[in-house]
Amino acid sequence: MAHQHDSGSLRQGFVIFIILAFLTFIEYVIAITNQSVLLLTIVAIVKSGMVLYYYMHISKLGENEDSTDHHSAEWKLVTNRLGFWLFILSDAFLFAGLLTTRFNLLGFTRPDLDRNLGLIVTGVLLISSFFMNRAETQMAHGDQKGFLISTSITMLLGIGFLAGVVGVEWQRAPFSAGDSAMSAVFYMMTGMHAFHVLTGVIFLGVVLNNARKGLYTAENHWAVEAATVYWHFVDVVWIFFYPALYLIGRLVQ
Amino acid sequence: MQKNVHHYVIMSVLVIVVTILTYWGLNVLGLMPVQASSQAVQIDWLFDIEVKLIAFFFALIMVPLCYSLVVFRQKEGDETDAEHIEGNTPLELTWTAIPLVIVIALGIIGADNLRQIKTVDPQAIEIKVIAQQWKWLFQYPEGFSSTKLYLPVNQQVDLKMQSQDVIHSFWVPEFRISQDVVPGSIEDYRITPNLLGNYKVRCNEMCGKNHAYMESDVLVVSQADYKTWVGTQALSAKATEMASAGKPDAGRGQTLYQESGCPACHSLDGSKGIGPTWKGLFQSQVKLTTGSSVLADDAYLTESIKLPQAKTVAGFSVNAMPNFSYLTDGQVADLVEFIKTIK
Amino acid sequence: MKKSSSRGFGTALLLFILGLIAGTVVAVLLHTLTTGKFENGYLLDLPSWLLGALVAVVAFLYALIGYYGVVKGLLWQVAGTLLGALFVTALRAALGMPYSDMNTFWFTESAWVTGVMVGTLFFLAGVGAITDWYKMALGQTVSEHHTDVPGFRKYFGVSLDHKVIGIQYTFTSLLLLSVGGLFALVFRTELAQAGMQFLSIELYNTLMSLHGMVMIVSILLGIAGVMNYLVPMMIGAQDMAFPRLNAFSFWIAIPAAVILLSSLALGGFDTGWTGYPPLSVRAPLGMSMFFVGVWVAGWSSILGALNLIVSVLRLRAKGMIAFRMPIFVWAATATSIISLTATQMIGLAFQLVLFQRLLGMPFFDSTKGGNPILFQHLFWFYSHPVVYVFVLPGLGVISELLPVFVRKPLFGYKWVAMSSLGIALVGFLVWAHHMFASGMNEYLRVPFMFSTLLVAVPTGVKFFSWVATLWQGKLVRDLPTPMLFVLGGIVVFLLGGLTGPPNATVSTDLHLTDTYYIVGHFHDTMFGGYIFPFFASIYYWFPKATGKRLNEKLGKWHFWLMTPSFLILTLFMMRVGLLGMRRRIGDYDPAMGFGLWQMAMTIAAFLIAAAILIFFYNIYLTVKSGENATGNVWKSRSPEWQVPSPMPVYNYEHEFEVVGEPYDYGLPGSVYVKINSEEV
Ligand code: HEA
Ligand code: HEA
Ligand code: HEC
Ligand code: CUA
Ligand SMILES: [Cu+2]
Repeated sequence: MAHQHDSGSLRQGFVIFIILAFLTFIEYVIAITNQSVLLLTIVAIVKSGMVLYYYMHISKLGENEDSTDHHSAEWKLVTNRLGFWLFILSDAFLFAGLLTTRFNLLGFTRPDLDRNLGLIVTGVLLISSFFMNRAETQMAHGDQKGFLISTSITMLLGIGFLAGVVGVEWQRAPFSAGDSAMSAVFYMMTGMHAFHVLTGVIFLGVVLNNARKGLYTAENHWAVEAATVYWHFVDVVWIFFYPALYLIGRLVQ
Repeated sequence: MQKNVHHYVIMSVLVIVVTILTYWGLNVLGLMPVQASSQAVQIDWLFDIEVKLIAFFFALIMVPLCYSLVVFRQKEGDETDAEHIEGNTPLELTWTAIPLVIVIALGIIGADNLRQIKTVDPQAIEIKVIAQQWKWLFQYPEGFSSTKLYLPVNQQVDLKMQSQDVIHSFWVPEFRISQDVVPGSIEDYRITPNLLGNYKVRCNEMCGKNHAYMESDVLVVSQADYKTWVGTQALSAKATEMASAGKPDAGRGQTLYQESGCPACHSLDGSKGIGPTWKGLFQSQVKLTTGSSVLADDAYLTESIKLPQAKTVAGFSVNAMPNFSYLTDGQVADLVEFIKTIK
Repeated sequence: MKKSSSRGFGTALLLFILGLIAGTVVAVLLHTLTTGKFENGYLLDLPSWLLGALVAVVAFLYALIGYYGVVKGLLWQVAGTLLGALFVTALRAALGMPYSDMNTFWFTESAWVTGVMVGTLFFLAGVGAITDWYKMALGQTVSEHHTDVPGFRKYFGVSLDHKVIGIQYTFTSLLLLSVGGLFALVFRTELAQAGMQFLSIELYNTLMSLHGMVMIVSILLGIAGVMNYLVPMMIGAQDMAFPRLNAFSFWIAIPAAVILLSSLALGGFDTGWTGYPPLSVRAPLGMSMFFVGVWVAGWSSILGALNLIVSVLRLRAKGMIAFRMPIFVWAATATSIISLTATQMIGLAFQLVLFQRLLGMPFFDSTKGGNPILFQHLFWFYSHPVVYVFVLPGLGVISELLPVFVRKPLFGYKWVAMSSLGIALVGFLVWAHHMFASGMNEYLRVPFMFSTLLVAVPTGVKFFSWVATLWQGKLVRDLPTPMLFVLGGIVVFLLGGLTGPPNATVSTDLHLTDTYYIVGHFHDTMFGGYIFPFFASIYYWFPKATGKRLNEKLGKWHFWLMTPSFLILTLFMMRVGLLGMRRRIGDYDPAMGFGLWQMAMTIAAFLIAAAILIFFYNIYLTVKSGENATGNVWKSRSPEWQVPSPMPVYNYEHEFEVVGEPYDYGLPGSVYVKINSEEV
C-alpha cells in the first residue's frame, strides 16, 4: 500500500536518481570511447530495470488481496493497476516496433545529431522522473502542497524536453523528414515519443487540477499513481531511444 | 474396454480404407499442372508426401467422427448421459508426440528439399529480368532484350530480376517456383526447364490495376533452337543500332513505347490515363503541382522519363510513374523523338 | 418487433428509401457541380451512391430511435470530419500549400486523414462514449451503476452492460459480414466468366481488397461479441472489469467501419488487405481511409482484449480456479493476449505507410534507404497471430458445446486448455511463413518453416480430444442446429488446417503462394474456425439472450444449404489454385480452362448467401413470434444456464460458488456451480 512510504522513500528516490544519472554519463563515455553496443544495451537494460522497479513499482502488481468484495476501493485499485500495466505492455510493443524499424533500416549507423543536445534533453527527462517520483511519494505522505510543487516541476521539465526535441533538435537537424530513411526514422521515433510526453503532460495537468481541488488522499490517489507510472514509462522508452538515436552506430557521410 | 475392441478394429480398417481412397481419388483427379522443370519434380515429390499425410489425418479424424455419429448416437428413448470418461494422459501424450515427430521429420525433409531446388549450376545462363507495371522485359547477355522469355531445355538459367516500381512476382506454374521481385534489390531465380513447350510467366504479387494482365510468354526450346534464336536476335539488334547510330529515331521510340509499357498510362489520343496524354505534349506549357508551369522541350521530356519524380504534372500523383533507369540515353532520346511526333 | 414500434419500423423503411434517393441525388449534383462531369468512371457513381446509403441508414435509424445514440454519433462524425478537413484546408491555404483538389475528392489527402480522425472523436463524443471520462477528468463524480434506457433502444446507444455490448458487437459483426459478403457476391459474379463483364478492374480490386478487410473486422467484432457476452457469465461475474472501457471499445469500432467503407467512395485501393508498399504508397486516397479505418478498429481490439484479460484475472467467482473455468474462457484469454500486444505492430506498419504517403517519409522507398520488406515483417507479426485470434474463440465454442451434446466430459480438459495457450504463443513465432517468396533474408526460411509446422501439434491435440469426446458419446438424437454447426466447423476447419502444412514447407509454398490454393486454405480455416462456431453460438445462446429459441427447421435449412455449397466453393478454389489460378486477379486467362469451375464457385457463393438470408429471416421470425425458452434448453452444466433466461441485468443476484468440475456429464450427483437461488 501507498502509505508505507516514509521519508526513507524520498531518500531512496534521490539515490536512484544519482545512480541513473551516473549510468547516463557512463553511456556517454562508452559512446565516445569504444562504442560497444553490448555495453550500451546492458546499461540501458539496467537503467530501465531500475526505473521499473524503484520508480514504477512494478512489484506492486504482485500485491493481491483475496477479498471477494468487488466494490472495495482496495480491490478496485489492484484491478485498475493491472489494467493500466497491460496498457503499458501493449504500448511497449509499439515502441519495440519502432526500435525494430530503426535497426532494420539503419543497422549500425546513426543520424548526424548533436550529442550534447541529446544528453541535455535526456538529463531533463531524467530529472523530471525524479520529481515525478517525489510527487507521488509526497502524495502518499499526504503532503498535498509538496505534491503540487513537484508535479508542476515535472510538467515544466516535460515541456522543456518537448521544447528541446521538437523546438530545437527538429529545427537544427541537418535533414528533413523526406530526405532519407534515416531522417524519417529519426522524426518518427522522436515524434512518437514526443507525442507520448505530450499526453503525459496533459495527464499530469488533469491530475494537478484535481489535486488542487483536493480529490486525492494519501490512501486514495489512483489517478496520481497512473500518471506517475505513465510518466516513468515514457522515460523508460527514452532510455532505449536515446542510445538508439544518439549513441549506437557510426555516422555515415 | 474389452467389449469395445470391435469398434477399434472396424475403425482402424476404415481409416486405412478412407486414407487410400482419398489419396487415390486425388491422384486420379491430378492436382498439379505438367512438370516443366527439374525443380518441379522435386517439389511435386514433397507435395505428394504431404497429400498422403493429409489423406491420412483427414481419415483419422473423419472416420471416428462419423462412426461415433452413427454408432454411438443416443438411442431412441435413452435419456441418460454417456459414460463418464475424463481423459487419458498416455493417450494425450501419444497424440502430441506422434504429430511432433511427424512435423519435425517433415521439416527436415522440407529443408533438404529446399536445398535441392536451390542447387547452383555454375554454368547457368544469366538473363536479366525487368519487372514493371505491368509487363516483363528480358535482357539477354548477348545484348538484346525481348518481351518473351526463351529458355533452352535442360540447362539451368539464373534470372537476375529487378523491379522498376512496386513488388511483382515471377511465377511460371509449370516450373512451380515463384519469387517476388522487390524494388531496390536483385533477386535470383534459378530454374532448369526440362520439358519443351509454351508456358506463361504470371505476375504473382498484387501490383496494381492491371496485375491480372501481367503475363508474358515463356518458351522452352531445344538448345539448338535457342542458339539460333539468340543469334538472330543479337544480329538484328546490332543491325538496328548500326543503321541509325547516334541519331534518335521516332520509329524505335514507338517500339520502345510499346515494349516499355508506357501505353498503360500514357495515351496518344488525348484521353487521360494514369499519366498525362502525350498528344500535343511537345512544346506545350505543362502545369505542375507546384503551381508553376514549364515548357515541354527536349530537356523537360528527357528529365521526365529519367527522373519522373523531379517535376510532377498537376492532377497526377508523384510516385505513380515508375523509374525507367534501365533505359539507355539513346533509348530515352528515341522516346522523346517519338513524343515529338504525337501532335 | 414490439407492437409499439412496428409503425416506427414502417416509417423507418420509407425514410430509408427516401434517404437513399435524396442522398444520392444530392451527391450526384454536388459531384457534377464541382467537377463538371456527371459520372466518375465507374458503372455507378459510387461516391454518390455511398453517401446516399449513409443518409439512408441515418434516416432509418432516426425514425426508429430518434436523435439518440448511434444516430447522433454518425451525424457528429460527419460534422467532425468536415470540420477537421476544413481546418487543414484552411491551414494549408494560409501556408500557401495546394489546398484542394476539385478533380478528385475536393479535399487534399492530409485534410481527409485529419478529418476522419477528428470525425472519430466527434462520433465518440456524440454517442456519449467518453462523457463519463470527460467528467472524471474534470474531477466530477460519475455514478457507479448504470441503468439502460428501456426497450430495444438501449442497443442503439451507450450501455455499460456487457450483455448489451455483446449483442451490439454481434449485430454489428453480422452487418459487416453481410456487407463484406455482398462485395464477395459482386466480384464473384465478375469472376464467373473470363473477361471483364460489368466491373472495371479498379473496382474489382477495391471490392476484393475491402472484402478481405471488412470480413476480418467483422470477425474481430464477432469474437468480441461472443466473448463479451459469455465470459463474465461463465466466470460468475456481474460485468467486465471496466464497463466504460468496454463500451468505448465497442463504439470506436463503428466510426472505424464507416471510415473503412468510405474508401470505396474515395477512389478505392488496389493492394488487397495486406496493403504492401510501395504499391500502397502509390494507391489512391481510399488507401489512406483503409489504413486509418483499420488503425482505429485496432484500438477496439486492443482495449477489448485488455478488459477481458483483467476480467478473467480479477473477477472469477469463488472457487473458479484456473482449471475449473469453462474451456471457452481459456480460449478467450489466449486470444486476448495476442490482440493486446500484436495489434500495435499492424498499427505501426500502417502508420509508417501513412506517413510516407502524407509527408514523404521514405520508410519503404528503396531509392532512399527504405525497405519494403520491413513492412511485411511488421504486418505479419500481427496478421499471422491474428488468424489464431479468429479461430481460438471458435475452437473454444466447439470444445464448450461438444460435451453438452454428447453428454460426456470434455476429453483431456487440461490439454485442450493448454493447447489454446500453446497455439497463441507459438503463433507469435511463425509470421515469416507468409514471406517465403518475398525475398527476405534466405536464412530465415527454414526456422520459420519449423515453427509453423509446430502449430500443427497443439491444434492436433484439440482435434484428437474432440474426437475422443465424441467417441462413445451419446450424441443427442435429433442433432440440434448448434451441434450441426459444431460438427460442420470441425470438418471444415480440419480441411483448412490440413492444407496448412504444404504452405509451411518452403519449397511447396513457392508454388502455392498467392494462388487460390491459399484462398481456399484460409476460407476453410476462417469458416471452420470462426463462421461455423459463430453461428453455433448464436443458435445456442440465443435463448439465453432473448428467452426465445431459434426455429430448428430454418436452422437446419441454413446448415444444409451452407455447408455443401461452402465445401464446393473452397475445394474448387484449391483445385484451380494448384493448376495456376493466381489471387487478386479480376480477370483470368480463358486458355487455362477454369470457366466451369469458376461458374460453379459463383453459384456456390450465392447459395451460401441464400443460406445466410434464411438465418436472418429466422432471427426476424423468432424475435417476432418465437417459441419461448427460458429454461436450461440444452441441459448444460455451465453456470449461465442455471438461472432463467433472459439473463438478469447483474447476471447472478445470488451467491455463486464453484464446487465441481465443469464437464462432469455422466457423473451422477455432481455439481459444477452452486447458485443459492431457486432452481430453474
Ligand atoms: C483462421 C485462420 C487461419 C488458420 C487457423 C491458419 C492455420 C495455418 N496456416 Fe494459414 N493462412 C490464413 C489463415 C489461417 N491459417 C490466411 C488468412 C492466410 C493468407 C493471408 C494472405 O496472404 O492474405 C494464410 C496463409 C498461410 C500461409 C502463407 C501462404 C502464402 O501466402 O504463401 C501459410 C504458410 O505456412 C499458412 C500455414 C498455416 C498453418 C501451418 C496453419 C496451422 O495452424 C494449421 C494447423 C492445423 C492442422 C495441421 C490440422 C489439425 C492437426 C492434426 C490433425 C494433427 C496432425 C497433423 C499433422 C502432423 C500435419 N497459412
Ligand atoms: C471471415 C472471412 C471471410 C469470409 C466469411 C469470406 C467469405 C467469402 N469469400 Fe472471401 N476472403 C477473405 C475472407 C473471407 N471471405 C479474405 C481475408 C480474402 C483475401 C482478400 C485479399 O486477397 O486481400 C478473401 C478473398 C476472397 C476471394 C479471392 C479474391 C481474389 O483473390 O481476387 C474470393 C474469390 O472467390 C472470395 C470469395 C468469398 C465468398 C464467395 C464468400 C462467401 O462465403 C460470402 C457469402 C455471402 C455472405 C456472407 C453475405 C450474405 C448476406 C447477404 C446476401 C445479405 C446482404 C443483404 C444486405 C446487406 C441488405 N474471398
Ligand atoms: C504506371 C504509370 C506510368 C507509366 C507505365 C509511365 N508513365 Fe510517364 N507519367 C506517369 C504519370 C502519373 C505522370 C505525371 C506525373 C509526373 O510528372 O511525375 C507521367 C509523366 C510523364 C512525362 C511528362 C508528361 C507531361 O505531360 O509533362 C513523360 C515525358 C513520361 N511520363 C514519359 C513516360 C515514358 C517514356 C514511359 C515509358 C517508358 C512512361 N512515361 C511510362 C505515369 C506513367
Ligand atoms: Cu506485377 Cu502483379
Ligand atoms: Cu500465417
